[in-house]
Amino acid sequence: MIKVEILFPEICNLYGDLQNIDYLKKSSDEIEIVEDNLVDEPYFLNNVPDLIYMGTLTEKSQNFAIEKLRPYRKRLMELIESGVHFLITGNALEIFGTEIIDDNLTKEEGLEIFPFMAKRNMMNRFNSLYLGDFDTDDLNNTKIKIVGYKSQFTQGYFLKNYNTNLSGDLGYMFDTERGTGLNPEIMEEGLRYKNFMGTYLLGPFLILNPPFTKWLLKKLGCENIALAFEEAALKAYNIRVAEYSEPDRGFTY
Amino acid sequence: MSKIRFFIALWVSKLAIIALKITKHAGTNFPGIVALKICPMFLKYAKKPEKIIAVTGTNGKTTVSNMLLDILTLDGYNVLNNKAGSNINTGIAASLIYGMTVFGKCKHRIGVFEIDERSALRIFPYLKPDYMLITNLSRDSIMRNAHPEYIANLLSLYIPNSTKLILNADDLISSAVAPENDRVYFGIDKMKGDLNKCINLINDIQICPVCNHKLEYEYLRYNHIGKAYCPSCDFKAPEYDFTGFNVDLDKMFIDVKDKDGIGSYKLLNESVFNIYNVVSAVAVLRTMGYSHDKIEKFFRKLEIVESRFEETKYGSRTLYKLLAKEKNAFATTRVFDYISTMEGDKEIILMNSCQGDMHHWSENTCWLYDCDFEFLNQDNIKNIILCGPRRFDHRLRLLLAGVPEEKLSFAEKEVEAPSKLKLFENDNIYVLYGTDSLNLGNKVSAMVRKLLKDKADKFEKRGTSRD
Ligand SMILES: [Zn+2]
Repeated sequence: MIKVEILFPEICNLYGDLQNIDYLKKSSDEIEIVEDNLVDEPYFLNNVPDLIYMGTLTEKSQNFAIEKLRPYRKRLMELIESGVHFLITGNALEIFGTEIIDDNLTKEEGLEIFPFMAKRNMMNRFNSLYLGDFDTDDLNNTKIKIVGYKSQFTQGYFLKNYNTNLSGDLGYMFDTERGTGLNPEIMEEGLRYKNFMGTYLLGPFLILNPPFTKWLLKKLGCENIALAFEEAALKAYNIRVAEYSEPDRGFTY
Repeated sequence: MSKIRFFIALWVSKLAIIALKITKHAGTNFPGIVALKICPMFLKYAKKPEKIIAVTGTNGKTTVSNMLLDILTLDGYNVLNNKAGSNINTGIAASLIYGMTVFGKCKHRIGVFEIDERSALRIFPYLKPDYMLITNLSRDSIMRNAHPEYIANLLSLYIPNSTKLILNADDLISSAVAPENDRVYFGIDKMKGDLNKCINLINDIQICPVCNHKLEYEYLRYNHIGKAYCPSCDFKAPEYDFTGFNVDLDKMFIDVKDKDGIGSYKLLNESVFNIYNVVSAVAVLRTMGYSHDKIEKFFRKLEIVESRFEETKYGSRTLYKLLAKEKNAFATTRVFDYISTMEGDKEIILMNSCQGDMHHWSENTCWLYDCDFEFLNQDNIKNIILCGPRRFDHRLRLLLAGVPEEKLSFAEKEVEAPSKLKLFENDNIYVLYGTDSLNLGNKVSAMVRKLLKDKADKFEKRGTSRD
């Protein structure tokens, strides 16, 4: 069985994010789901899951999640370094960074796993459609077209010259074609390190991107990869890719 | 200086009202827009009624404001209100302009304002309600409203300290707003059809605010609306000051009790949403000092028949036209839930896509996965017609909800949807449109109406010729 661990679904559940894992479950009977909650010991502490998923949450909940995970920082580092898959969507990504600085100058320290920080402005919601490429890192350098949505109060920044304990190189998750990257100045979206994948794209990301989902299931070791309602998912995906590729389509507002 | 500016703004906007009248233009908010442009502090200097009642929240604020407006009018007040205009700062400014003389004197003793829950920042520094009702807070547009905790924080930040709050104890999110303010709570006792676990996808408050353990419910209506408690500590939802009980849907009455007695109130329709609306309006009026006796009499005279839908019957078939706000999973789920409770064969034309996003932008479809399409997976829902550019997204969502592909029909354009109806005997046809597609909703409904009428006429003719 392939173990998928969901971190804190009772708070990390905004905008349909949890449906991503539901979609994996509907797509493969090899998937087994474990849910962690805020008051019990997380499953990953004494087990090695195949995938850890965490979805979008409120700003207050970000603090709960950080405080809950802080004692397990070392274990999380260990799992990340050993190549366990992580899929982190929306602002859950910020929890793994160094800090979240609010516009009213309050500061929340993150888990400090990645040299990455977020600046938050609660009076300014940033909305965007997204079109980009994901590099599968296979021998043929195959790229997968990614579509999705961003809707957030924050912008993300890589910290240069930050002394990390990472053993490898930190990269980003997608190359942006249309829409915006981690912040308005850069075209790179998300954060990728070994098999840790974090992106600000939120909502039903895996449902919107069947080619990526198939790639992920394969990486997780699924043998029979036929997505739930694959034809319908691909049709909706192809229409969206075509739509987002139209030159006069607006992307941010 | 600012006073001069204020008067210039007042006079120019008064002239704008006259100009609108002469040229027969609508534009209720226009004077407000003009005034705020000339004098950004207009709301500060504008004279307001002595007593102000504000109503906000995600759902029900328009209905309850109208109820309060009608009741206070029945009591003989000339009530200043923003019913005709918008519920943001420009709409409030416009209604204040209508309510002032050219010398800047307010002509009204009392005002009832519906206020957009996101506009707190621009309104409350200047408009200080004596009473404020927050009906509820739930997930709404991801892009504008983010999440209900965000809206609750905005309200907590900007609601004036002096405002007395009337809050829904069955909603832990809105009932926790502005904790320092003087407050009373309303709620509805256990009633028929209550659940004890959330069956909806959206559940925006799942953990105890004290100890983070999972909350449980003595009873639950939908999503997070119900009477919550924590099994791990002594946290529980606030006690009701005004309790709705004895809901009687045959006679369409509900009793409301408080420390001074009981009243029996006419319900406007049978939806739980609207039962809450009635109880909340009673709570506001009781808090203002009206007796049960007096409020009961007002309620009996209320003319508003709050219909949830427009229903037209032709022969054996019925058309229901229902508003299901696009991009609002919470409200649309209520509509789906409602349709699922109706008997008989059903066909649905699903056209609540965001029309505004169609051409230059593309709809953010996250809401589809917050919305319980699962309610549409039902034997007697026989045909769901999907139309517009998002029809293939709707298709995938419905398939994932368990609806078989054979039950789905497609129309590229909304106006082509009626031709896909199967028109069963005793059919119930639901046209679901969004606030963005009001005109299109009317157009499609008219087409369906014509289809049903023709079919009924034909049937009648056949019937008479046989005689
Ligand atoms: Zn507790």
